[in-house]
Amino acid sequence: MDSQKKIKVLYVDDEPNNLFSFKAAFRFDYEIFLANNTDEALQKLEENQDISVILSDQKMPGKTGVEFFEDIRVKYPNPIRILITGYSDIESVISAINRGHVFRYIKKPWTDVDVQSAIDEAHKFYITTSMLAMKNDELQKAYDELDKFAYSATHDMRGPILSVLGIVDLMKNAEDMDEIKEMNEMMENAMLKLDNYIQNLHDHYSIRRGELNITEIEFEDVIKDMSDLYDIASKLKNVAFNKSCMQSCKFRSDDISIKIIINNLLSNAFKYQKKDSNDKQVSLEIKVESGTATIVVSDNGIGIPEQNMKDVFSMFFRGAHEEIGSGFGLYNVKDALGKVNGKIDVESVVNEGTKFTVTIPSK
Amino acid sequence: MNFIVIDDSKLDCFIAEKIIKNTGHCDECKVFQQATEGLEYIKNKTDKNETVVFVDIQMPVMNGFEFVEAFEGLADDVKEPYSIYMLSSSINENDIAKVKGYASVKHFLNKPLTNDTIAAVLEELNIT
Repeated sequence: MDSQKKIKVLYVDDEPNNLFSFKAAFRFDYEIFLANNTDEALQKLEENQDISVILSDQKMPGKTGVEFFEDIRVKYPNPIRILITGYSDIESVISAINRGHVFRYIKKPWTDVDVQSAIDEAHKFYITTSMLAMKNDELQKAYDELDKFAYSATHDMRGPILSVLGIVDLMKNAEDMDEIKEMNEMMENAMLKLDNYIQNLHDHYSIRRGELNITEIEFEDVIKDMSDLYDIASKLKNVAFNKSCMQSCKFRSDDISIKIIINNLLSNAFKYQKKDSNDKQVSLEIKVESGTATIVVSDNGIGIPEQNMKDVFSMFFRGAHEEIGSGFGLYNVKDALGKVNGKIDVESVVNEGTKFTVTIPSK
Repeated sequence: MNFIVIDDSKLDCFIAEKIIKNTGHCDECKVFQQATEGLEYIKNKTDKNETVVFVDIQMPVMNGFEFVEAFEGLADDVKEPYSIYMLSSSINENDIAKVKGYASVKHFLNKPLTNDTIAAVLEELNIT
């Protein structure tokens, strides 16, 4: 059992003597809350939402323990309920257990061992149910994401195909060679867009389902890979690509996740440039020291408006009109960072540029 | 007849423009890759020439639905000359149902725009 955090237990009984002796017996094992009547018990529950076990006497003036449990069941479904009864009326206890109001019952006079084992069992049950609720939440999130995905897939995958079909239809009657060339180029772009989307999708699921493959990483090699990928784009689009790397210690992490992170950040830095600028810059600086890699990707492009900052890491969020964006990139970055326990910070000024700073600890 | 095409995909704008011009009923065709610009254009337009608007649903920043909502908020005499058609490549039931909820939208059309769909639109508007 967790020694630092005691189990929180609420005990309701109309006899002060029982309350005292209960607290005296268990105050070292549990954090105990006492209530002299059901109103007081409700107040304690309201104030301490993390109470995990409630014990109640059955025979109390006004309300029986079973009735009290029935009342609180809807508002406080999580705490596990234990009935204490010296009452010979076993029928009402059995029916309460069968209706699911009561997890256990303890006979009066109780022994310390009975109470302790009942509380411990109840707490285990409480933890299991809470875990189940958490898993359900996760599952719900996965479903929501799947819905979003299905929606976007029809748009982002069908979109380029339908565009090309449209062009093919137009081409049937086109005679002007220049026009045909233009259409050809457009079809090429549509296919590149589709390919880019599918690659992102592949990245997404390799991050999600893939096992981590921890190896020693030489960031000089990573920089070289990125140069191979972006040097051509840098020349074609007339964007200066500055790289620097300083690695003073060994670094271990998942190679694929790191490359996905850097690749996506660079891809954005190249994509969201100011079209009419004569001084387009993208830089990648990597520094590895004391077991932490700091990766900075910055550009002097269009920047991110403040109101979009909170959404940039959401799936399928597209903050700019650029038609090439899929809304996948930064979402994949965030996922990959989760795998390697990394953190990301973004600073941006509209029309001045954006700077992403990623820190990743060595494994 | 005037036409406005709003679609974030440059390629789809190109296709739409070509097909519209091929109909032989096009006096003017304006193309916008950003819905915000299309909306501004409509707001500032002073002539009352009949205009068909084709607007894509999924676009960044301002999507097709947001465009239609903003359009519906304009003054009646501004809105009067426009017939809006929504286009999408998605086959999402919710989207199609949502389109029906907008009074100013005539129909939902599947992408890509073809000669046949345009012909049907023109027929619906009694332009032959």
